Amino acid sequence: MVEMTPKKRALLCFTGNKHKADRISCCDALTTATVEQMLAVKAPFPDAHKDVELAYRLAEAAWTIIGLEGFKLPFDLCIEAEALGCKINWGRIDRHPSVETPAFNDISEFKIPEKIIEKGRFPIKHKVEEKLRREYGDYLPIVNQVTGPFTVAGHIFGIERFLIWTKKKPIEQIKEVLMMIADINVEDSKEALRCGADIICIADPSATSDIISPQFFKEVLVPVYRSISRRLGAPIVLHICGNATAYLPYIPDTEVDAFSVDTQVNIAFAKQILGNRVAVAGGVPTISALLFGTPETVRKAVIDAISQGVDVVMPSCGIPPRTPTANFRALVEATKCMIYV
Amino acid sequence: MVTKEEVISKFKEAIINGNEEEAVKWAKESISIGLDAYEMITKYGGEAMEVISKMYEERKIFVPEVLLAANALTSAIEVLRPHIKVEKTKVPAKIVLGVVEGDIHDIGKNLVKIMLSSAGFEVIDLGRDVPLQKFVDVAKEVKADVIGMSALMSTTMPGMKKVIDMLKEAGIRDKVAVIVGGGPVTPEWAQSIGADARPKDASAAVGITKQLVEELRKRRGESW
Repeated sequence: MVEMTPKKRALLCFTGNKHKADRISCCDALTTATVEQMLAVKAPFPDAHKDVELAYRLAEAAWTIIGLEGFKLPFDLCIEAEALGCKINWGRIDRHPSVETPAFNDISEFKIPEKIIEKGRFPIKHKVEEKLRREYGDYLPIVNQVTGPFTVAGHIFGIERFLIWTKKKPIEQIKEVLMMIADINVEDSKEALRCGADIICIADPSATSDIISPQFFKEVLVPVYRSISRRLGAPIVLHICGNATAYLPYIPDTEVDAFSVDTQVNIAFAKQILGNRVAVAGGVPTISALLFGTPETVRKAVIDAISQGVDVVMPSCGIPPRTPTANFRALVEATKCMIYV
Repeated sequence: MVTKEEVISKFKEAIINGNEEEAVKWAKESISIGLDAYEMITKYGGEAMEVISKMYEERKIFVPEVLLAANALTSAIEVLRPHIKVEKTKVPAKIVLGVVEGDIHDIGKNLVKIMLSSAGFEVIDLGRDVPLQKFVDVAKEVKADVIGMSALMSTTMPGMKKVIDMLKEAGIRDKVAVIVGGGPVTPEWAQSIGADARPKDASAAVGITKQLVEELRKRRGESW
């Protein structure tokens, strides 16, 4: 029997068709880069964020060193903010870049430069995706990550200011801004798909329910995510940090294919709520298992997540750069030997 | 003629509703009818923020509403501060506060800052994305009683442990209390890295910090 390719497996699992796959996928749609990989392939942060060759090597390490069944780009969440004019702190080998200063003082100042996907580091990301496709053909999936509209709004206006605006400014104005950022996500993703990406991951960490209400999520953000989903002909994964339990009933309305959850969300519960409408990805705690645990802790977490019905085994959030390779590999190994529970 | 009770209740209501103009108006009114400015801030402002905290905890409101309330209180404090009678016999406890390196999420930290300042603490705010060594250096320099660290990302949380280890190395771990907070920071994690407390929210931080300072000063005296 011919082995199913990791790409086919990932596409099946991310779209809620895991039972048609030979087993569950462990394609990581969130950050894959760790310090040990950077050193092994000589492509360290922060240089790897800005150079096609280095970024290619580091993205590839997810497969060649860890064994994750797919590639994911970029390694940070600042591409959109940078192209829109924010000042970026580039971090260092074990620290992701972060936004240093907002780009606009008011919504009225907000405008998107023409051909934004030709600005900043968008072209680097697309070139790397193109190269991965050329080198790996149809064997492994490529995930193009976009920073979600709410997080980008927080970056370019300052999160506190933007949160206050959600109460003080007309809600139509807030929706309009988020929709404009969604347009960037779509434009970026279309180019990525043209370059060979297979899956789109919308990472919107700031949209956590620790910050905004389920009502705001439902009324303002759901239509924004839906508009991205509807405009892209590829499987879409949505990741939101923290306790997104209260959002679960609204997730099917986003029309995404998979929802990636953090540790605070119980996977079995999420599966109950989402049923076969949206796949659930995640399951391996980044801090307690991957960063500070042992391969054994990681294996247990994988088995637990699969038995609870997870569709794609992934870290619960972005991987801490200091995660030991042995722990990260255990995620892959354990997933590979689990057929179904 | 409005009574003192009415002014106090309107003042609290304005903060809870996040109405900055009203909060400032009733703060001014409180001064003109002779209410104590210090008490307006620490007692009634504190009470209003406690209500906000409780509502947030119960998820009746979310961060935008909390920010509006905090803004209203901050503006009211601006009005009230010049009227505080200076008769401080006790050295106010000093707390060095910041969001650890790599993390720019400072909403939680800012709320803690407002709560602690309104409770009479001297807060040295290092801001966000603070180099770890700076916590130690500033704590030493100002002879801090407490170091408060916040992180909203699981990737930056480990910085907290590093700071505690650096305090140990510098031999000053027993001179300061350490509190930590932020979304992914659990009490178990706080304990495992040797922090003294992980208050569950900004208003709980006040009580816990007071208690820690009391214990600390009993142990090491007022001086460093």
